[in-house]
This record gives sequence, structure tokens and C-alpha cells, in this order.
Amino acid sequence: MLNFPLWKVGLILVALLWGLILALPNVFSDGFLGIEPKQPADPSNTTAMAAYEQQLQEAEDSWWFLPSGKLNLGLDLQGGVYLLMEIDPAEIAANRLETVQADIRSAFNRNPLIERQPPVQNGDRLTIEISNPEEDMDEAVRRLRRLNPTIGTTQTELFDVAQTGDRFIQLTVPGNARTALAADAQSKMMEIIRRRIDPDGVAEISITPQGDNRIILEAPGEADPKRIKDILSQAGRLTFNMANLDQSAVRAAVNSGRAPPRQQLVDSIDYGQILINRIPELTGADIATANRCFDEANFPAVCFRLNSSAATKFYNLTRNNTGRNFAIVLDGTSMSSPTIRTPIPGGNVIIEGRFTIEEAEDLAAIIEAGELPAKLNFLDERTVGPTLGAESIAAGSRASLIGLALVGVFMILAYGLIGGFAVGSLLSNIVLIIGALSGFGATLTLPGIAGIILTIGMAVDANVIVFERIREEQANGRSPATAIQAGYERALSAILDANITTFIAASILYLVGSGPVKGFAVTLAVGIITSVFTAFVVTRWFTVLYLRLRRPKRLAM
Amino acid sequence: MLLRLWPEKTKVSFMSLRFVALIISVTALLASAAMLGTRGLNLGIDFAGGAVIEVDKPEDVTADQIRATVTSLVTGDVQVNSARGTGPNAPEIAVIRFAPQPPVGEETPDEAQNRAGDEVSAALRDLIGAERYNLRSEASVGPKVSGELFRSGIIALTVALALMMVYISFRFQWQYALGAVAALFHDVILTMGMFALTGFEFNLATIAALLTIVGYSMNDTVIVFDRVREEARKYKKLDLSKVVDLAINATMSRTLLTSGTTLLALLSIFLFGGPVLRGMSFALIFGVMVGTYSSIFVASAVVLLLGIDRGDKPKREVEGFQGVG
Repeated sequence: MLNFPLWKVGLILVALLWGLILALPNVFSDGFLGIEPKQPADPSNTTAMAAYEQQLQEAEDSWWFLPSGKLNLGLDLQGGVYLLMEIDPAEIAANRLETVQADIRSAFNRNPLIERQPPVQNGDRLTIEISNPEEDMDEAVRRLRRLNPTIGTTQTELFDVAQTGDRFIQLTVPGNARTALAADAQSKMMEIIRRRIDPDGVAEISITPQGDNRIILEAPGEADPKRIKDILSQAGRLTFNMANLDQSAVRAAVNSGRAPPRQQLVDSIDYGQILINRIPELTGADIATANRCFDEANFPAVCFRLNSSAATKFYNLTRNNTGRNFAIVLDGTSMSSPTIRTPIPGGNVIIEGRFTIEEAEDLAAIIEAGELPAKLNFLDERTVGPTLGAESIAAGSRASLIGLALVGVFMILAYGLIGGFAVGSLLSNIVLIIGALSGFGATLTLPGIAGIILTIGMAVDANVIVFERIREEQANGRSPATAIQAGYERALSAILDANITTFIAASILYLVGSGPVKGFAVTLAVGIITSVFTAFVVTRWFTVLYLRLRRPKRLAM
Repeated sequence: MLLRLWPEKTKVSFMSLRFVALIISVTALLASAAMLGTRGLNLGIDFAGGAVIEVDKPEDVTADQIRATVTSLVTGDVQVNSARGTGPNAPEIAVIRFAPQPPVGEETPDEAQNRAGDEVSAALRDLIGAERYNLRSEASVGPKVSGELFRSGIIALTVALALMMVYISFRFQWQYALGAVAALFHDVILTMGMFALTGFEFNLATIAALLTIVGYSMNDTVIVFDRVREEARKYKKLDLSKVVDLAINATMSRTLLTSGTTLLALLSIFLFGGPVLRGMSFALIFGVMVGTYSSIFVASAVVLLLGIDRGDKPKREVEGFQGVG
């Protein structure tokens, strides 16, 4: 127990140095030794921002010899929005079945035509009545089985086909297809959410799946949950439809409650209500890019460009329909219904409206990201503003320093010089905790800081157990060396048992906890490991060094 | 002279006090149960659902104005409290909380909750004025998640207790495991009773605190048990209650020192760590004190009651670890 060969000392030094190196980037974070470049007050000033970015980069390059991993601050410390969303698998199944209806129509219309009544959809169940079941039933079932799509990259088929009664075919989405649909939708929606919230790909947002049908969005810095929810609650279904703005036709349709055949009434931003063709000419899938731009009167607008085949289609459409109107319809509302004056080549389209810059940007992001396959339900939302975050950091650091000072003074009062050794190993413990957390890329939350402070209090426990044993052994008349030897030997099993049980509690907390609580569990668990190491190895090494150098007759403790 | 919290070489007979302690513990447990039954826990929105919005409150906007604005938009209970942030020149803060919202029309309860949250934020922004409006924090939890969070919290506590019991049975004997778990239940119930009594908010962070208390109390208990095991081996003929007393006396100085440093650290969180950590650190402070008491008077007393197997078979448990260090 008192023997420290050179290789052991080497290992201890390596461990401490490793912790120190991993922890250092947090000190040198944005500049070298506290010389931080100043962030320009006006973020829209691009030259100032570029200069700032370059200074940051140079500062970072100046400590190239350090690892780049830094402590990630949790949303509760740096401010931001946490949003837990859920997709309803039944709704995805229903939506998917609805899109399949067009395929069914064309399959049945193929020669020889199968006569049937319009299909009736009830949630994720579709019923088709075959008009001449004697002749067509078998063929109808065969065609339906053939068009049955597989889901995503899986081999799972979308629906089961069953004949019910003499005349009816029923399509149902079975449980395994629903699960596959939800998983497929989950990954697609995560991508769409990312493109909507962060169209430029610059923000450090994190989007993670939870379970089969949930998605967690964490957007640091952003303190406007309403804007995020607004962007995400739109389905984003965009279509181009030929439109009829004629007021008398619209009024007739409104009064009778029935639109002319193959047309429908929709709300319009600039005309109240208008009539549009049910079948769209183009859809959101035809759009290549969308941006915020300005119209001729210098109002914010949304400009987008169609992909090349759609551009040709659009050119032909505008050439054949000069003088008529088309409507750009988003989620059932016409955003714009301009009159076609000349054929439009190139596929560049602009939506003008009285948008604010923010609205135009969000709309462009929604259009470019594409349509969500199902609605997102917001289950749990937490926002921390930057003020509270900054206050929490200040309060957390203050509490840590005071806690550390109190515990340090207490230990020195109780055990004198040896207590001082324990304080030294406590400091190395904190360096190791921060180093380990940075190395893992763990997230530091406010409860996590509380976990570190709690560890400071509890970390001395292992030292205390040993010191008490040494006191006892010395009181029994042993020499310092044998007392220390016996103290460490006898305390070992108690220390290990005690810390393993606490570690069990921390692990459970990590497994079931979320967000800030998880951060607490991580620091607690890491703290337990490092504190056993520092108490048992580092303090002992200090003590042994002291014994060798001073050869005291008796330990003052 | 160095600081001593406990004199050397004491022979206090703790176990002769165990019946007094039993009365104290049972009374405290009954009182906690009564508190939990009558007053109940002040469940935070993590478990009760609903929303909490915190905004800076300018001098010229009164809490009553805020309450009127919020009440006109939501159904059910609305609370508006004033607080002050930490740090110099901290502005006054209004903390607004309202109950989960009943759905209107075709809405799901989660949608209703969301809509109400958005409407209230917008109305507050109008009331305070957009340029002065500073959202400090906002949380809105729908009924679906709050139920799940509560269940997972309870599951976490149960699983932690079970695993520790298994570990202690494996390292010691089953009597020790029962004693330790009795002490843990004692600590958890008393802490929850304290929350019912004081009305501190019971939320996810409190569950984290409870689990930490379980870990700490277990830690404390194991130290005493380890010594009981050692003394029992050393003095095979000595009466078990004397053995337990020896062990408690021998570890008392350590128990008080560790509790002392832990409490110092916790006190600094409670006083200087800001309002967010106050409930959590309160639970921990109370739990550490109760945990220290229970490892002596509950865990050890249960072991004494059940008796331990003091057969003379050689014990090898300790040696498994001796290669370390």
C-alpha cells in the first residue's frame, strides 16, 4: 500500500495530465487566456462578422495543441428551446392510404376497366364497392395486390386486401405496416424539421428520435418557442392550381355550397375565397429552391425556382393559359393568385404578400423543406431565455466556489496537513471531472453543476474514512507508516461498497432521466469514479511522499 | 488542536436508544403519511401538466393585471407570483402558472395545452410591451407526457432500491439488505412528507434528489455495516447489540465529518445556487440528515432485530477487492 514504484507514479501523472489537457479547452474557449475577440453588436454587418469569425478561428488555432472537445452547456444554461413532438401512426397510415387512391384509380381504369363506386376511406381503412363482382372481383383483388407499395426501405407492404361480403374489398393497414410507416416518417420528418428550422445549416440544433414515433428538437440560443411551433405546425403542402377568380362564379359556389365539377373553393389571402381546379398542375416536390427575396416595391417576398422538368411544364402552362389566373396554394389557402400576362420561362416564381422579413424567411424554409407526412403534436415544451441561463451559470459557479472553499477549510481544520493533501486531491478530482465530461462530449446542465458540488462534498468521504482509520491505528500505538498502511487496507472494502451503491443510483437516474436530470446523473457518476481514484491513489501518493521526505515521528491529525 | 466533531474512543450505547428511535421514526413516518394524505404534494408541471411562464415584470405592471390577463384566457387555477432574480440590479420577475387546459371542440388535450400557452405568451407580450418583454423561461407539459414522467420517476426509484438490495445481499447477508432498504424507504417517505409539509414543488429534479438521497443514505449505511461485519468477526462471542454499538462508535466521527462536508456543499447550493436549484438542494439537505440518522437507528436496528449469521465459516468477501491499489 505504501509502495509507489516509478511506473505507478507515471500512471498517476499521466491520468492527471490527461484530465488537465481535456479540461483546458474550457478555459481557453473563445480566445487565448481570456483575450476574447469582441462580437460585433450588429450581427447583420457582414464584414464585421467575418472579421470576428476570423479572429475566433485564429484564437482557436493559437491553442491547436489542445483537444477541441469542450463542455457542452445544456439548454438550461445557454438558453434555448426544447420541444418533444409525437407523430400519430394511425394518422400517417390514413394519409398514406389517401395518396394510394390515385394509383388505385389508374389501376382500375386500365383496360379492361373495372366498374366501381368511389372508394370510402375511414381512417386507415379503405372500402371499395365493385359494381360487377361476378366478372371483376378476382381481377380487382389481383390488381390491388400488385400495386401494394412497400414502406421505405423495408419489405413491409402497406395494406392487407380482403374481400368482405359479395361486393366489397377492404384495404386495411396492419400493425407491422403502421410501425414501419411511423419509423419511416420519423426519419423523414427529422430531416424536414431540420431543413425548416435551420435552412442554412448553421445553427447547432439537435434533432433526435425518441421511441418509434417521437422526435426531440433542441435549439440553443433561440428563445421564441412560438415561432418554432408555427413553422412546424404547417403541413407545408404546396400546389399550383389553375384558378377562377370570377366573383359571380365564386358567389354562386358559396351560396349553393357546391363548387363546379372538378373545382373547389379555397380561402385566399387577397380575394376572400376563390375557385381552383382540384387536380394541381405542380406540387411542392417540383420546387428546387426557395428563398426570401424582395419584390419590386421592396417588400419581403418568397422567390422559388422549379426544377427543370417542372419549369418546362410551367412554361407550357403559362403559354396556353395567358390571361387566366393560377393560384399558389399552401395547406388549403391560396397565397397568391396572379394573372398570367406572358409565358414565364426559367421556372422562377415569386409569392408576393405583405410579409415581414421573418415571415418570408419562414415560409421559404417551409416550402423548400417540403411537406410533412403527418401532423406533429407538441407534448412537452421548455424554453429558457438567455437572461435566466446566464444567471444560472453565475449562480452555479458561485455556489461551486463557495462550496469548495467551505469543504477545503473544514478538511484542513479537521485533519491539518493531511487534510490539505485531501484538498489537493479534491482539486485534481474537479479537474478530472471536467476533463472527463469534456472528453465524452457530455452536456453540463444546472443540476449537473449541483452534481459536481455534491461530489465535492461527498468526494472527501473516501478520504475521511481512510483518515479516521489512520487516526484509530495511530491511537492504537502504530507508527505513521504502518498506521497509514493499515488505514488504507481496512477502508478499501467499505469505500468500494459505498460508492458502488451510489453509482447504481446514478446509473438508474441516467437511464430514466431526461434533459437536465440526465446531466445531473452524468456528473454524479463521473464524480464517483474520479473521487475514488483521487482519494485512494492521489491522496495516498501525497501522503507517502510526505512520509518519505519528512519521516515524521507522528502524524498530526 | 484539530477540529473534532466526535471524541475518540467513545462507548455510547446507541442500540439501547433504539426503542426511543423507533417511536420517533414511527411518529415521523405516520406524520409524513398524514401530510401526504391530507395536504398532498405540490406537484410541479412535470407531473401535473400545465404551464409555467416567467417574464421580467416592469414596475408599472402589477401582478393583478397579469392575473386578470391570464385568467381571461385560460380555464382553471391561475397562480401569479413575484420573485426576484439573482445578482445585482436583478429585475422583478412574474411567475405565472396555470392548470392543464380542457380541450375545446376537436382538440386533443395536448393541443389545448399548447394553444393556451401560446395565447398567454402573446397576451403578456401585449400587456408588457414588445420592447420590454423578456421571456425568462417557459414550460408547457401536456397530460400525456406528465403521466409518463411520473411513472418513470416511480419506476426509477423502485428499480434503484431493488438493485441496491440485490447488491447488499450479495456483498453482505440478506439481513443487512433488509435493514438498508428499510432505512431507504424511511428516508424517501420522510423527505416526501417534508415536501408535503413545506409545499416545496415536487418535480423531476426532486426525483433526482430522492435518488441521490437513496445513494447517500446507502453509502452511509454500508460504512456502518462494513464495520459491523468486521467487529462481529473480531468479537465472535460478544452480544450483537454490543457489536453494533462498537461499529457505530467507531464510524461516528467519519459519519459526522462526511455529513458535515456534504451539508456545507449543499448549503452553498441552497443559498447561492439560484432559485432553480432551491427545491432540489432543500430535498438533499433534509435527506442527508435523515439518511445519517437512519443508517444508525433504522438500518442497524433492523439488523439487530433480525440477527446475523455469525457462523465461523471463513469470509472471503473482502478479498475480492484487495488487488486494487
